[in-house]
Amino acid sequence: MRVKIVSYSILIFFITLVQSTVLDNIAIYNVKPNLLMVFIVSVALLGSNVEGAVVGFICGLVQDMVSGGPIGFYALLGLYLGFAIGSINERLYRENVLVTIIVTFISTVVYEFSVYFLSYFEKGSLQLVYPFTHVILPEAVYNSVVSIFIFIIILKIKRRSEKVAKDSRRY
Amino acid sequence: MLRRFIKSKLFILLTVTVIVLIVMGLSSRKNSKIKYVSNVFTVVLTPFQELINYIGGQIDEASSYLKDIKALNDENEALKARIAELEDEVKELEGYKTKNDELKKALNIKHQFSDVEFLGANIIAKDMGNWFNTFTIDRGISDKISVDSTVITSNGLVGRVVSTDLISSKVVSIIDESSTVSARIAKTGNLVFVRGDLKLKEQGLCKLDNIFPDVDISVGDTIETSGLGGIYPKGITIGTVKEIRRKTNDMNRYAIIEPAVDFKRLEEVFVLIGKDNIEKAGESKDEG
Repeated sequence: MRVKIVSYSILIFFITLVQSTVLDNIAIYNVKPNLLMVFIVSVALLGSNVEGAVVGFICGLVQDMVSGGPIGFYALLGLYLGFAIGSINERLYRENVLVTIIVTFISTVVYEFSVYFLSYFEKGSLQLVYPFTHVILPEAVYNSVVSIFIFIIILKIKRRSEKVAKDSRRY
Repeated sequence: MLRRFIKSKLFILLTVTVIVLIVMGLSSRKNSKIKYVSNVFTVVLTPFQELINYIGGQIDEASSYLKDIKALNDENEALKARIAELEDEVKELEGYKTKNDELKKALNIKHQFSDVEFLGANIIAKDMGNWFNTFTIDRGISDKISVDSTVITSNGLVGRVVSTDLISSKVVSIIDESSTVSARIAKTGNLVFVRGDLKLKEQGLCKLDNIFPDVDISVGDTIETSGLGGIYPKGITIGTVKEIRRKTNDMNRYAIIEPAVDFKRLEEVFVLIGKDNIEKAGESKDEG
């Protein structure tokens, strides 16, 4: 548990830093991957729904703080994303990279559509096709590719954490 | 039954949701105190963002240095010739300048930015998602920046400050979809709105709305801030008209604006700070 808390905190800080600075330089078609969202998905896939919800909430809160919008917007979205994926993961063969890719793809579509609708519904100029083809779809593809690497990192942390737990139980 | 419900995850989830919604509502008000929470994280993050930004700048510089040596030689030759040419021109213009000054004095034009201070700032981070066109600058409350301060470059209007932390603040640019600037056509003085648009912002452009049928507008016209709405001072260049489009008829047209500022290559900006934080008159909500 302690291994998880420490490594997840470092990861969240590092991802936020990268997301807000260098990621703009590798954007394709003006779209960049959402590393924090991929992180939530990977953690929730490998952990319980409580773990997913807590990590989702914290990641969202960090994004709220950095983005300057109302505090709590991304936190709630992250909370529900982590909770939902954490709740269904037992039905999936979850330590499979292909499952991660598919789940990340679907989550990105749902998540980004939620962000789009919730932030623009008051403007009254909602569209369906344009945001999907120009932002959400490329981002979903991009996220899916990135999810492979993040998933492997989380998997290693999880194994490490289980090993530490086992070792400490032995004595 | 009830006790089991209270202990269930669903109940916790609902409680957290309600609490967060309340916090969200409170923090979305202007100058809300809850936003100070974000200092916890941004104060730690900002120095790292600055560091990465600095390293990135150094790498950029080094690579362009190697690339540019040959180009610079050619340019040097051309520039030398141009200098001679310009020197002649300068002499001529100096004559005009003195004349212009005299005329200005005669007209008693007040300097429009005389009551504000220019504060230089570096852009250290961009928005994390793909929907918004906001960025973070390395100045905050400690530099007297307040919400709704105007952000410009030497070319023209960039946007305004939406939230401030201790040592950083967030700026929303005029091409963001949430931004509306009350503007006017410099040639005729007609009032229009400059809005951000999701489709156009990818190309760094924005949209000109609210053009009345009798307004005379043509490609190449300069658009500047009108000073109405109480956020942006009057007379800052926004950009030029690139294209005029019709929706159905003449009554319903809009224009595409090419901002004077290149948002893709924005690195340094200036924040305008009122010297004695003058209460801006005519505060209104929808223009900003």
